[in-house]
Amino acid sequence: MNKPLRIALTKGRLEKDTVGLLEKIGFDCSAVRDKGRKLILPVPDGNLEVVLAKANDVITYVEHGVCDLGVVGKDTIMEMQGTFFELVDLGFGKCRFALATKKGSSFYGGYKVKTVATKYPNITRTYFESKGMDVDIVKIEGSVELAPLLELADGIVDIVETGTTLKENGLEVIEDIVPVSARLIVNTVSMKLRQDEIERLVALIENTL
Amino acid sequence: MKKNDLITPEGTRDLLFNDCLARRAVESKLGKLFTDFGYSEVVTPGIEFYDLFSGSCRHFRQEIMYKLTDSKGRLIVLRPDSTVPIARLASTRLASAVLPLRLYYNQPVYENNALLKGRSDEIAQAGIELIGGEDTERADYEALCLGLGSLEQFDRDNFRFEIGDIGYFKELVARLDVDESTREEIRLLISVKNYPALNDMLDSIGSTPVTAALKMLPRLFGGVEVFEKAAELFTDEKTDPILEHLKDVYLKLCELGYGGKISVDLGIVSHADYYTGIVFKGYLSGVGQAVLKGGRYDGLLSEFGRPCPAIGFGVNCDDVANYLRRNSLAPEIKDPDCIVFAEAGRSAEAVALAKELIGQGMKIEIGVHKTFEATREYAVKRGIGLIYRIGSEVEKIEL
Repeated sequence: MNKPLRIALTKGRLEKDTVGLLEKIGFDCSAVRDKGRKLILPVPDGNLEVVLAKANDVITYVEHGVCDLGVVGKDTIMEMQGTFFELVDLGFGKCRFALATKKGSSFYGGYKVKTVATKYPNITRTYFESKGMDVDIVKIEGSVELAPLLELADGIVDIVETGTTLKENGLEVIEDIVPVSARLIVNTVSMKLRQDEIERLVALIENTL
Repeated sequence: MKKNDLITPEGTRDLLFNDCLARRAVESKLGKLFTDFGYSEVVTPGIEFYDLFSGSCRHFRQEIMYKLTDSKGRLIVLRPDSTVPIARLASTRLASAVLPLRLYYNQPVYENNALLKGRSDEIAQAGIELIGGEDTERADYEALCLGLGSLEQFDRDNFRFEIGDIGYFKELVARLDVDESTREEIRLLISVKNYPALNDMLDSIGSTPVTAALKMLPRLFGGVEVFEKAAELFTDEKTDPILEHLKDVYLKLCELGYGGKISVDLGIVSHADYYTGIVFKGYLSGVGQAVLKGGRYDGLLSEFGRPCPAIGFGVNCDDVANYLRRNSLAPEIKDPDCIVFAEAGRSAEAVALAKELIGQGMKIEIGVHKTFEATREYAVKRGIGLIYRIGSEVEKIEL
């Protein structure tokens, strides 16, 4: 038996959805379900090894080749960039990036340079650059919705799923930026050195989706 | 205390002892191979004008170049690559030299990487450039053989090679009725094998044999069957010769016994503005990026006023050295066999004895402690088992 393929999963919902997908393929994921405190978990009949990590770290591990594959949101991919192959749109973890402001305020009015709060400064910068618009970007680590309420920012760029949190805080989406979903990414060297195994797994995943 | 005087800049490191030895071993093995095949070494400046790297078919983003200014305020960069300076050299100082030129280099290149990515900013690179080889098929074959030979000598069993031809992609994409930026976007999606986005993009352009072939391009890698698949997808008088040439090279390399080591990848489309024909990459298992990269760049020299075909590749010596160290394949530093310690006033005798022992093949250290006892203590700490003590006579002391 070959060394198992190592796949990094983004902890939380993407992890659960991916495990669901692997089980649907027919792999026994009991070790991943009862993981305790372990961070590297075997899926023996798939000859896989699951690593659980934060989203940004999934990309780091895959880029450096210590994990062959990864499951991570398109949001993280867009924010982090990096060198790897993006093979499959897994279809789950769906949401979108959107620009939101306080209800009734006009974001594009006036000549004042606008301030935008976000957890995703790179995506925000690229977006406003593509519009040819100068904005000040403030990086916020926690609840971005607070920034316009405290009048630190004129608007926010964030992940929106249903929009409930926004509504409850008197904010509204004024523009959708880009849709987001979970992706299967692959290290560029693994793709070459373990082509057969990876293609087999990708085919199984694509047929199950 | 000054803040930065005890550390090295981000992305650089001191290389000590065995690490240093491994890197030099890699460099000298490559140098030997290149020399044996008739290549001569050149050294180009560590700093160059920014303009050199900002021409139309040179793919250096300004963000990755370390920049400074010279005494006249002109913009200077730390060399981000060795091929472009060598192309300049070939078109200027070697303008009247007989072709082909076979040149090799062994010098670091500099890249300003994003912080905290764990990547090196100073990369030791060795490689060849075969410039002006009139019969490009023969030149392609030679460069590939040398590339394969380069990796093979480090680990016969655990290297892989892939070859492609960027001409195939260029021919296909040129047939699309779209603007330049869309072509570039398609290229990017193919190079990162982003199947979903590539499909969406090509669907929006229309459904033709060309879009169907482009959709499959990132999946066109593997063995000899790739050529059949590619021919099924698309065939005409321009793409067929490209595939035929690539197949011919591939089969020739298989004949040399590299069959299990080489795969074909028509989805190698990186640096499309620079490469014009065959492109290839070499990998060592466990290293997260290609350790060898190269290809044909027939357009570059004409930018310096000397149009001629050229092909070359570069090897990342640091990555290879780290690989050898990790897999216990690197040479290791040998401890000294003995210490030669001379009592006061006899240092000339110590040097004479040292030379004699070296002549017998030993590695020695001359004692620089004040007393024999201190020398002995030092020897024990270092694990050196033998001391020659020079007094009125020479005493050989085993510890």
